[in-house]
This record gives sequence, C-alpha cells and structure tokens, in this order.
Amino acid sequence: MEELLKWKEQMRSTKKNRITDKITQHIFLGTALLSASFIFIVVGIIFVQGIRPFVTDNQGLGSVNLWSFLTGDVWLIGATFASNLYSVGFIIVSTLFIALLSLLVSFPIGVLTALFIAKVAPKPLAKILRTVIETLAAIPSIVYGLFGAGIILQVVYDVSALFGYQSKGGNSIISVVLVLALMTIPTITAISEVAIRSVDKTIEHGSLALGASNTQTNFKVVLASAKSGIFTAAILGIGRTLGEATAVSLVAGGRRAGISFDIFDTTSTLTTIMLEGLKETTGLDYDIRFSVGLVLMAVILLTNLLLNSVKKRVGSVHVR
Amino acid sequence: MFDNLKKRKLSDGFMQALTYLSSTVSLVTLLLIFGFIISKGSSFLNLNLITENYESQGFVADLYAGYELCDCNASGEYLEDGFYSKKWGIALVDSTDLLGKNVVEVLYVHQDSPFQQLHDKGIGTDPIKMKTDYDIIRIAFESHATALSRHGAAQMIEYLNANDSIREIEFQTAGGGIKGSLITTLYLIGLTLLFALPIGVGAAIYLNEYAKPTKSTKIIRSLIETLTGVPSIIYGLMGLAIFVPLTVSLTNATGGNIISGAMTLAVILLPIIIRTTEESLKVVPDEYRQASLALGASKTQTTFQVVLPSAIPGIMTATLLAIGRIVGESAALVFAIGTAIKDDITLTGKSTSLAVHIWAMMTDEPANIELSATIAIIIVLITILLNIIIKIISTRYLKRKLGSAYE
Amino acid sequence: MKKVLIALVGLLTLTLAACSQTSTSATTLVTYDGSKNITVYTRDTTSGTRTGFMEGIGFAEAATSDSVLVTGFLIKDNTAILNALSIDEYGVGYVSLSSVNSTVKGLHFNGVAPTEANVINDTYGLKRPFMWMIRPAGDYPSTTVEQIVQAFIAFLATSDGGDIINNAGAIPLPSTQTWDQVKGNHAVCNQNNSGVVLRIGGSDSIQKVAEALTKAFTPKCGNFSAEHDHTGSSDAYKRTNDPAIKDTSVGKDIGFSSRFFRGAELTVAASIRGQLAWDAIVAIVHLNNPVSNVTADDLKNMYNGTYRTWNALINR
Repeated sequence: MEELLKWKEQMRSTKKNRITDKITQHIFLGTALLSASFIFIVVGIIFVQGIRPFVTDNQGLGSVNLWSFLTGDVWLIGATFASNLYSVGFIIVSTLFIALLSLLVSFPIGVLTALFIAKVAPKPLAKILRTVIETLAAIPSIVYGLFGAGIILQVVYDVSALFGYQSKGGNSIISVVLVLALMTIPTITAISEVAIRSVDKTIEHGSLALGASNTQTNFKVVLASAKSGIFTAAILGIGRTLGEATAVSLVAGGRRAGISFDIFDTTSTLTTIMLEGLKETTGLDYDIRFSVGLVLMAVILLTNLLLNSVKKRVGSVHVR
Repeated sequence: MFDNLKKRKLSDGFMQALTYLSSTVSLVTLLLIFGFIISKGSSFLNLNLITENYESQGFVADLYAGYELCDCNASGEYLEDGFYSKKWGIALVDSTDLLGKNVVEVLYVHQDSPFQQLHDKGIGTDPIKMKTDYDIIRIAFESHATALSRHGAAQMIEYLNANDSIREIEFQTAGGGIKGSLITTLYLIGLTLLFALPIGVGAAIYLNEYAKPTKSTKIIRSLIETLTGVPSIIYGLMGLAIFVPLTVSLTNATGGNIISGAMTLAVILLPIIIRTTEESLKVVPDEYRQASLALGASKTQTTFQVVLPSAIPGIMTATLLAIGRIVGESAALVFAIGTAIKDDITLTGKSTSLAVHIWAMMTDEPANIELSATIAIIIVLITILLNIIIKIISTRYLKRKLGSAYE
Repeated sequence: MKKVLIALVGLLTLTLAACSQTSTSATTLVTYDGSKNITVYTRDTTSGTRTGFMEGIGFAEAATSDSVLVTGFLIKDNTAILNALSIDEYGVGYVSLSSVNSTVKGLHFNGVAPTEANVINDTYGLKRPFMWMIRPAGDYPSTTVEQIVQAFIAFLATSDGGDIINNAGAIPLPSTQTWDQVKGNHAVCNQNNSGVVLRIGGSDSIQKVAEALTKAFTPKCGNFSAEHDHTGSSDAYKRTNDPAIKDTSVGKDIGFSSRFFRGAELTVAASIRGQLAWDAIVAIVHLNNPVSNVTADDLKNMYNGTYRTWNALINR
C-alpha cells in the first residue's frame, strides 16, 4: 500500500515535471523566436520609414524619384527644406570603392599577420601579438576616428604635398581607407588565425615530407587549406567597412557631388551622409536618412550574397 | 639543384619577411593610438574628472560693509605660478577647465583677505568663502571697466589693484566632469543586460538543449546570425523609429532616453550573447545531462541545475563582451539616446553615454580633442580590463572543467 | 656671404613692403605658390554661421543650397574648419570672430579689420544678430516662470548681462544700467526659485552665449535652473509662439535666433522679441597666405568658383 502511494506520488510529480518541462520549453522557444524576429523588425522599420520619401509628397515637396535617387551624382540639387532632388548614386559607388580599397590594404596584412602568429613567430612573440590584436579589436571605433582626425589627416596632407598633390586638409579617400583598414585588420587577423590553426596537421606534414620548406608549406598549403575561413574573415571585414559611421565621418570631407576615384580627393559614404546636419533638420531632410539606411542595407546584403557565392565556389579545399 | 635551393631560400626569406612586416603594422598602430590618446588626454586624467558635475554651480557676491583691505604677504610660489594681489590677498592663474575652456582659477586666498568672507547677493546663506579651484567669471567695479575671465588673470589682478572696492564678483565651482555620462553608461550596462541576458540565454538554451536539427531551427539560427551583419547606425535608426516613441508614450520621457538606448543596445547584443552562451553550452559534456536525467531529474531541472551552472563562465564571458560593446558603441546611441550631456541622470530623462560624449564634443563648438582623448583613455582602459577578465575566466574555466585534455 | 644674403633679404623685404600694402611679408610671398587651387571650406546648410556669411557676401542662395557652390568644396564644422586652415595653405573658410585664434589668419573685410570695436561702431560688415523671443504674456507654465523670463530679458539689456555676453565671445549692444539698478522691478528674484525650470531653445550657434547668460543669472534670481535644448534658429519662433508646436513637449519659454526674424516670425508682438548681441563672422586663411584683405565680391567669387587660384586675388 505504501509502495503504491509512493508510486502514485512519483507519477504525479513526473506529470507535473512534464508540464513544467513543456512550459519552460515554450518559454525558451519564445525567447528564440523573439530574437529571430528582431531582424524582421529592423528591416521592416527601415523599409517602412525609408520608402516614405518615395511614396508620400513630403509636405508639399513632391515625392522623391527612386531612379534618380539611386543613380544621380549630386546629393541635393537646390536648397535644403525646399527641394526633393536627393540622390546617392555617386555615394554608393564611392562607398564600394572605399570598401574595396580598404580590403586591399587590410586583407593581405591581416592574413599575413595571422600566418605569422600561427606558424612563424616564436611562442612568446606570438602571445604578445595576439594580445595586441585582441586589444586593437576591442578599441571602439570612435577612438579610431579620433586618431584619424588627429594624426592621419596631417600625415596624408603632408605626404600628398610631397608628391605635389594638393589634398584638402587631408580629408580624402585615402584617409578613410586607412582608418577603415586599421580597424578591420584585427578582425581579419583573428578569424584567419583560427582558420589557419584548424588546418589538419597531416596535410602540413605531407607537404614537409615531400621536401617543401616550412615557408613554402605555410604559403602554398596552409593558406590554401584555410581558404574558406580566410574568406569568411574578408566578408566580415568588408561588412565592418561598409557599416562604420562615426569614425569615417571625421575624416571623409563630406563630398556632395560627382564620382571621384582620386584617392587624395574628398569623399562621402552612405554612413557619413546619414550623420550630417543631424541636429537641425526636420521633414524630408530627416526622413531621407532612413532611405539612405535602406540603400546601405541593400548594398551590404548584395555584397554578402555575392561574396558568399564566390566563397562557395572557391571554398572547398584544393591543395596544389 | 643548388641554384634552385638558393633561389628557394631567397624567396622563403622574402615571404617570411613579409609576415614580419605585416605583423609590425598592428603593433605600430596600437602604439600610435595609445601614444596619441595619452599625449593628448593624460593632462585631464584625474579623479575630479570622474566625480565632478558637468554643470558648474555659480555664485554672485559682494563685499561686507565693514571689509578691510589687507597688506597680505604671501610666499613666493603663488607669485611664480600665477598673479598675486597683495592688497586683496588673492592669487589667480590662467588655466583650462575640464572642458578645455580658458578660465581664471583661484590659486590661493590669504587668511586676512576680504574674499574670505563675501556677502551673497543671491538667496544663499552668508557668508560665502572664496575657495581655491573656484573659477572667477567677472569682477565688476563701481566706476572702472569690468574684469572678465576671457582677458586673463593678469588683467584681473591689475584691475583689482587699481580699485579699493568691488561692486560684485561672479564665480563658480569647476565643471566639465563626466560623472553624468559615466552614470548613464552604468545604467545602460545594467538595463541592457537586464533586457538582453534573459532573452539571449533563453534563446541559446532553446537552440542547444531543446531544438531538434530541423529546417526551422536552422532558419531561426540564421535569422539571429543575420543580426550581426547589420551596421549599428541602422540599429540606431530602428531605436529612433520604435523604442523612442514607445518609451515616450509609456513614460514621462520627451525624447531619447536611457530605456530606449538600452532596448536598442539589447537588440544589438542578442546575437553576441546567444552565440557565446551556446558555445559554452556545447562544451558541457552530454554525460552530465544523461546522468541527471537518469537520476530522475526532469529536463527543466537538468537544464537549470546541471547545464546552466556549467555554462556560467560562458555566460559571464558573454556579459563582459556585451559590456565592452555597450561602453564603446557610438553610432547607434547618437540616434537612440541622443547627445545631451547631463548631471542629474534619470532613466527617462535626457543624457548620454561616454562614447557619445566624445562624439558630441567633437561635433560641438569648439571641438575638444583633449577631453575626448581623455574619455577615450577611460573607455580603452575599461575594454582592456574586461578583455583581461574574460581571458582569466576562460583559461581558469577550461583548466578546471576539462583538465589537461583541452590544454 | 651669409651677412650679404641677410642684407639682401632685408632690402627686398623693405621694398616689397613699401610697394604693396596687402602683402604681409616678403618671405611668405616668395614661398607661397599662388597658382595653386583655392580649397573652399564651408559649414553645412543648417548652420546659422553659414546663413550669416553667405548673406553677408551677397551670395544668399548659397545659404541653403550646396549646388551653387564651386565644385570640390568641403563641408566641416567650426573647429574642423579652424583645424583644416592651420594645415591647408590654400584653403579659405569662415568662423565666428570669437573662435579666431593665432593658428589661422583672419582677413579684413572690405578694408575693415575684424575687431569688436569695429563691429560695435558698425564699420565691420560681415556680422549677424543674436535675437531673443519669448512666449506671449500669460502663456507660461506658471506666473513664476513668466516673471523670471521677464527678469532675464531685463538682465540681457544691462551692462552686467553685456559683460557675460562679451565674456562668451559675442558683442553686446551698448547699455548703461546695471542689474543692481533694475532688479527692484523684479521681486521674483528675491525668492527661492530653485524648483523652477526655464526651457530655453533656438539656434545652436548661440548656445554657448545663452548658457553663460543663464549660468550667470541663476544666482541673481533665486537659483532657478535652465534647460538648454538648442536645435536651430527657426525653432526660436516655432517652439515659443507657433500654436501647433509651442504647447507640445518641445515647447520653450525663451528662444534664440542667430538671424533677424522674418516672415511669420514678425507677426508676434514686438514686445516679446528683440536683439541681445552681434556676432561677427571672419573669413580665415592659412598663416602663410599673403592675402590679408578681401571684399564681399572676392569671397563670393571664391565660393561660386569664379576665382580658382589665389593668384586671382594676389595679382590684382
């Protein structure tokens, strides 16, 4: 009898447990779904707000023409508060150009640093460098911006003067590229290093056994095997480049018209144009920021899709 | 053959040199950045900066009817550093306050000086005592040009010496401290974690403990992962469009506030917290779960009493990473909380974080690179400290939990 | 040999200085390459300084439009322009008189030096007014607030208020009375007002002056406190008198504007608006630049692209 009671009690508690299990599971599911839904909220809000200048008449100014917004080469024709002729075509081009250039600087340096830390450097040196990279990665972007405004501008102005160029107080594509490159090197290094470390030792040993030197193995075998991981690093690096705002705004120069590929010329990016004249604007001049944000998200999305498809094509390990 | 070997050695050496060179770039960058912020900002770095109000308190006063001018002798150092008036027994010096503004600061007040006891022309209690470190704004006389702080300490002393009485004197406590922004940053850290940790940890537990590897789980995971790719300025716009109006309608806030800022930051941090927590849940050996279940514990009990405690170091790492991000975030908060620098911090009032404090000062007139660099030093120190703690936790944890297998 | 050289240079200096009044010194003339392009720096279209400058040089359409400016101009804030012109030898920009420092060279405008005295005696032409506007009588959160606002406006016109305006870098209107002489009319200042908040807004280029004024007036008037929220000159009217906005959460008790009131703003009663100060704007160049005087037309020609190089001015 006593055992039966005990058994019943146990059953009841298991049943209760099963109910609590169900409840907790649903709570956890809820938090996961909530987390996942934020991406829709973010995209949805930017979309709804960003589309507004194109579909409403903007308090009498008339709706902005989407095609000319995306292709034009003057930020604003006419006066602030009195014109709807906004366009970001040239800014899209310069944003992509800057991202490409800064990746050209940061990618080789980042990957080679990773290789150095993982394979070449003696242990204590590798440890120091890893700390350096981690510290650089932790420094907030606004500090990079301060550094850019205080040092890089002056250096770029002096150097360009040496070559006979007349740069505009150092505000230029090259300054932006340098600030962004310095910011992305730690990201690229950290991820590439993980990729390089996880290369199967047997592949390395095989290469060495075949008579290749250490350096040859590192460059031709290890890097090739870590290709996929290194590519991920590049994708993340370019993401950071495209999305950085406050630091870039301090060195870009705020170009308002015309595409320029002259690296000593001033420039604007999608993010810097969003931060300008922030305090004193209302109406269309304020709403247009959301439209620029929408374009920025589209640019990042397309770049990521493109790079990911390239990554898929080159990602599989081929050792030459 | 030997030629080939020589060539190979040469190219090997070249390639190796390249890796050395690349690594130097990072090292030099770090040194340059540190050198820059320290050389620009270290002069402001002291305890006053952290404890002082941004706004200073002002006084207006005149002399008591029976005041007496003195013939006060002071020791030499006041004469060397600043300007001393024997007649009035006060030494003044040109200085810069925490905001980088030029001010006239009180260096010394002689004990017999008429400035020891001033009559408050406002509603405060008499007498007010002039103290060192106060800033003098202006001294007005009955029939003489006013001495203004912008013309410097030398002229102020000269005017004082030329007069036997003063009509009124205005002075204030030193301001420019970052106490308010520091408190806001702390509030932001607390509130953001309050919002983000339960949701983030819950989602991580679901994904690692409950979710079956189905297609929908994969979709949830990739949706969360996509959040990391969104630039923070976009989150700022989202906060401005949703959380600011939401808090304005629910509380007595009138614009961007700490709550809307924290909500925005929470969304930014979710993917980081989820990923880091999940990583640490993955390391918990399956035997633990099986053993717990076999002993009759329910799934909930197992999760809360076995799995979660083992994952605590991971959650702590996530927390510290999150704090680092909160301290350094600027672009999102410019929109989601605003750029007003305040002293009296309330959750629903205007205020700003340290990183935005920098941005606000750099876009202010005049921009203040020095104090910006000082705040940058503080932010960098905090992030480095957090990084060190994270490292200690993770190495300790790995050693203790998993023994030498993970070394 | 050295001595001969020094003597030669000295002679050259003397002759050149005698020949041309505009060039500052011979050495800069020798090293300065006037064939270089002029780099044009400007504030953005929301800036009151920009409006004041562009209107002052007869180029009003450039106050709110970037597309009429010379191609390749740079948009910077106040400090960044000062910083840029300490680096960029071929740049031209403009800032408030109070911001000019020794790292750049402030230009004479139409032959008049940019000094406070010249602004007050109305010979220096490149300037803008600082204006105030308050809510209509009886339209305040409380009568105490209204009385403090009235006292504050009275304070602006005293020599004590003028000192503070001067100390903050602007140029006050002439006044003879001190606050001590008029405070008898404002009994509200003798009571404890420490819980009372004045909401102050309007132009952000006047914020520094406005903050200095409220800070100085606070202990004179019962320790009231002031909440500054400066968003732009047009908000001076909107947030104090525009029926659609003045009673919302952004409503203000006092609004400041860094330009004269215009259009609908002039419909409010003259008794609740006025001027408190002048602010001079100075065109600035690099210290090495030999140019030291410009006319309104020169500046307009530089900003619209008619003059591309400094030689256009130097060789005149």
